[in-house]
Amino acid sequence: MASEKSSNAKTSHKFQRSGFSYEQLIRFFFASNAGLTIVILTLIIAFLLKEGLGFFPGYRRDLETYRIAGLEFVDISRNNLTSHEQLTSLLNRAYYAEVNGKSARELKRTEEASALYNAFTDQVGPTRDLIINNPQARTDANAGMKAALLGNYEKQREKALLKPINTPHLTAKEREGLLESLRTRPPEATEDPPLVAALAQEFVAAQQKHAAPLQEFRTVIDDFESAGFDLGSIIMEMTESVTVTKEQLQTADILEKDRKTLLAAASGEKDPVERERLLADARAALADKPDVETPMEALLERKPECARLHEALKTASSDALKKIPSRLSDPDARRLLGAARKAWPQFIADLEAAPKKISAWKHTDPVPLSDAILSFLTGKKWVTGGEWQDFYGILPLAVGSLMIAMIALSISIPVSISAAIYVNHFAKPREQALVKPVIEFIQAIPSVVLGFVGILVFGTILREISVMDAFQWVPGFPIEERLNIFTAGCLLALMSIPTIFSLAEDALNNVPSAYAEASEALGASHVQTAFRVMIPASFSGILAAILLGFGRVIGETMVVLLVAGNRIKIPDFSEGLGAFFQPSHTLTGIIAQELGEVPLGSVHYRALFVVGIVLFAVVLGINATAHHFVNRAKK
Amino acid sequence: MVNSPTETPVSTDRAVQIRNVNFSYGSKQVLHDVTLDIPANQVTAFIGPSGCGKSTLIRCINRINDRIPAAKVTSGSIHVHGIDIHREDINLHELRRRVGMVFQKYNPFAKSIYENVVYGLRIAGVKKRSELDEAAEKALTNAALWNEVKDRLHTSAFGLSGGQQQRLCIARVIATEPDIVLMDEPCAALDPLATLKIEELINELKKKFTIVIVTHNMSQATRCSDRTAFMYLGKLIEYGDTMQIFENPGNSQTEAYITGAFG
Amino acid sequence: MIDPDILIRKGMPKGYFKDIFVRISLGSVTYLILLIAVMLFAKIVIDGAPAIFSSKFPFVDMEFLTAKNETLHVFDDAEGTRHKLPASKYNEYLKAHPGDTIYNEKTFSYSGGGIAGPIAGTALLTLGAIMLALFFGVSAAIYLAEYAKQSPFIHMVRLAILNLAGIPSIVFGLFGFSVFVLAVPVITNMPSDRSLLVVPLLINDFCLSFQGWNSSLMAGCATLACMILPVIITASEESLRAVPQGFRDASLAMGATRWQTIRKCVLPYSLPGILTSSLLAITRVAGETAPIMFTAAVAAKDDFPWEGLKNPLDILSSQVQALPYHIYTLAARIPNSEYTQRAQYGSVLVFLILVAVLSFGSMILRAKLRAKLKW
Repeated sequence: MASEKSSNAKTSHKFQRSGFSYEQLIRFFFASNAGLTIVILTLIIAFLLKEGLGFFPGYRRDLETYRIAGLEFVDISRNNLTSHEQLTSLLNRAYYAEVNGKSARELKRTEEASALYNAFTDQVGPTRDLIINNPQARTDANAGMKAALLGNYEKQREKALLKPINTPHLTAKEREGLLESLRTRPPEATEDPPLVAALAQEFVAAQQKHAAPLQEFRTVIDDFESAGFDLGSIIMEMTESVTVTKEQLQTADILEKDRKTLLAAASGEKDPVERERLLADARAALADKPDVETPMEALLERKPECARLHEALKTASSDALKKIPSRLSDPDARRLLGAARKAWPQFIADLEAAPKKISAWKHTDPVPLSDAILSFLTGKKWVTGGEWQDFYGILPLAVGSLMIAMIALSISIPVSISAAIYVNHFAKPREQALVKPVIEFIQAIPSVVLGFVGILVFGTILREISVMDAFQWVPGFPIEERLNIFTAGCLLALMSIPTIFSLAEDALNNVPSAYAEASEALGASHVQTAFRVMIPASFSGILAAILLGFGRVIGETMVVLLVAGNRIKIPDFSEGLGAFFQPSHTLTGIIAQELGEVPLGSVHYRALFVVGIVLFAVVLGINATAHHFVNRAKK
Repeated sequence: MVNSPTETPVSTDRAVQIRNVNFSYGSKQVLHDVTLDIPANQVTAFIGPSGCGKSTLIRCINRINDRIPAAKVTSGSIHVHGIDIHREDINLHELRRRVGMVFQKYNPFAKSIYENVVYGLRIAGVKKRSELDEAAEKALTNAALWNEVKDRLHTSAFGLSGGQQQRLCIARVIATEPDIVLMDEPCAALDPLATLKIEELINELKKKFTIVIVTHNMSQATRCSDRTAFMYLGKLIEYGDTMQIFENPGNSQTEAYITGAFG
Repeated sequence: MIDPDILIRKGMPKGYFKDIFVRISLGSVTYLILLIAVMLFAKIVIDGAPAIFSSKFPFVDMEFLTAKNETLHVFDDAEGTRHKLPASKYNEYLKAHPGDTIYNEKTFSYSGGGIAGPIAGTALLTLGAIMLALFFGVSAAIYLAEYAKQSPFIHMVRLAILNLAGIPSIVFGLFGFSVFVLAVPVITNMPSDRSLLVVPLLINDFCLSFQGWNSSLMAGCATLACMILPVIITASEESLRAVPQGFRDASLAMGATRWQTIRKCVLPYSLPGILTSSLLAITRVAGETAPIMFTAAVAAKDDFPWEGLKNPLDILSSQVQALPYHIYTLAARIPNSEYTQRAQYGSVLVFLILVAVLSFGSMILRAKLRAKLKW
């Protein structure tokens, strides 16, 4: 630089200036491009905040409407009714688990036979329908066509019977008989094959036989169920009236907003005629304040009745708890009954607290902004586009994301670190040359392809495994949904393996070879050197690798969107580890799924941006921690 | 040309006996037909210009060169206490415990001072705390480090100065009570004061151990060694008592080197 | 003096079995990963091969690669023969057989025809994004590697690069949507109602309106370019720094200006490295779905992006189909049946082959480059 300046100084003044500024210009050009990264990061933060921050006031207004219109009042009762329904459902499931558990063999047999029969009808169905329904084929003049159809039918029948599905619980003779009856089945036949019908009957008989000793339990369940009817009907009545109020309030809000827009436009308008017109429109849009007081009075008059019904339900529930059987024989049924028993005291306590809550409720209580923030951060419900009330609680999404990450990391951490140790310390150079590119290639596989594999291949395999008798000891098996937290976790594990592997391998590689040499010179074996010197020395780096893998898993979108099952609900932990086999939704998935469908600027739209902010902050925090460890490793 | 006792039979009272050793890294031969005996409980120094194969030779004695792919002794034999170290049933780990090694660049592990010293014992399966404590104190005392570190045994080894770290590495080696200690230019990375301390230590240690030291520094060889071997281009040129080598070298190349004509 | 006999072991070496056990278990875990990767690839190849390979010359089903994407109609004619026709051929069939009744008709969206539209869209998106990212990224890298000294500005740039690299792709989607789709300025004579700011340009009615580019090719390219920028900068800076300092010193000592030095003595030697690593960036850009979902991609489009345009530049403001988004649609939005498999596995196979070629290509190039360039 210095030499340039001095050489320029000797030339003419004009030349020097232009040369100097030209170089300066280039330098400035490159510097501004480097600055672009800062601009982009700032824009990301600014626009996330711009779109997101409006969420909280909007959501507060939503919650205020929820209160003023009385929806909140109805929900006090409704929440208890929902708990009641859940308990009923648990009891029912326990009951049927007990009955079906005792008739498990019959159930499997009838299921297998029907499955085989259904697969067969799926194959030949269309042609069969054609034979029956095609008017042309029925006339004698079209004998040729009829023959062709029949030939076609036979061909498909043979194809369908070529590889019938497995039926491990049917005897060879029964299976042969069933296949034979399908082989000789005339296309017009409508009744089920004899074996299918017989097995269905056999199952019903078994159910009846095993249900008989449980008669008392049945009655308890039915009584408990009907105890909620009265509360249910009053809730229905109240729902109708408050919905009307809510709609009125929302319409008024919209009109008010329009009016403000018109007024703003009018103040900016220079043409007096046009301004007058806008002002007139604004006056027209001035809505009457909707009358919320009259319906509210009617609603509040129901307070004593609501309280009384809660009392009644409480008495009935306490009675029912005493009467439910202490022990069931089927393990599933026991677990369900246990879950019901565990939830029962809370339910009773809620019922007990309800009358007080009902009488204390006031529609005039203010809704502060902190309520909206708290309700977002700790809300257990993410309900959108509903008739009743939208809730934006982030918990179900965060829990889903975390559980998927837990599965993914608990698989990928041991696997990728083992692989890193092996490749770095044990593998021959030729093995390294094989393993590294393949793992690098896994990293290059687009996530949408992995998601595709998850939907069409892995999920199906998992479900097939989950119904096998040999795996019934696994909690949560057989799974209900093939797309669930576990499926998504497994695929994300595959995605994060390359990240963790290559960073951990780097960390091991950065351990000076003098360490290994010194260790072996002291008589340590290869394994001792690996575990006592190499791994402790690269610990910070390995930790950073894990954290960066975690960041990658939390931020991944397409796999979870395709494979996690997309049910917005906190998994039911009463199933223990089985909760990992339930579908779930995620922070990333919800944005990808809903952003395309929401109106611009709506509360829902802004809620998605707030989820984006949360995601951004979490991932940045994780990465910052990881880089802290990387820097420590460098020292 | 080589005035060493080529025909001395293999016996157990010689610490190390090297016989006609040829060694190559892949296709590049670095040692040519080296033969010499290293007597027990003396300090033997190897001198010679860089790349003459002196480090390679001592790295053969504990077979640490096995770590390098394609590096191997192509012919000849090395006996430690009369045992051929290349025999099939050699206990390699025991050999390396008995033939300790101190490296050119001090290389303590990223562990505490204490853990560094007892590392060799731990991997040999010693678990008793009292035994480890005792061995650590003894090794650190022998390495003249105990008084400097006894109050911070459980702090990181990287907190020590370079010379202290090298002495820690020596303590680490002698904690396993080896018989022979190989030192590969132990002072190359140290300042003169630290070097002096290490040299004092070597003079102390030779009472207990057979020491083989590779050095660039000829005055160091005269200060600490009993016997000196001069190597050049992978060949052993001259080997004898240190006094004789330095005062009355029998070979013109040796003379040229020790008078500083090259190297 | 030790007993020399202890140097001779009795039995197996110390920790022999432990050593073998650890080696085998770690090794088997490693090879398990490879096995899973191979099985995954094999599954897609086996199921997808029928869609794009044929037994006759030229062994590739060109129709699948060159035809537009259409709805698949499956139906039986009166004789019970099953027909599987994409929408255009289905209409021809109806015209050719007037009066015939058809039975058991089912339609499968996106499953007929080929995937030329998505391939073209992905190619355009990738090309645009990489060109933008290379231009800005290499320039930024030149500044970082050649001009920058320690300063707060550089520190902030490095921090920004580090953070940008970690942002989840869906957040880039949100960013692209709120900035490029809804907020960047355009010149128009009819500003939209939701424009953030309108600046009159005083030429006719034209004004600069901050209303965004809508969902379009250029919004998608810009979003993807922002996402890939840190990767390009880091890789380019590495390549630039790999050029020995001596080259620069020699050039500067001859009296060349810094820019001349960079242009003549640094860039030519680092260019191969920059391009090789940008191949890897291409695989990433081509594979991303989340950032283009709201900024550029559509599931169905009748024309190729370049068809039916009044002005060639209009291609930039048109929406495109994209291969990853197409796969997402095929996997998530349509029911899975034997008639959709050809489209599903075929698209995935084509995509995977593309990615494999790119990523192995970059690996091989990188290895060659390392062998060739030894200063």
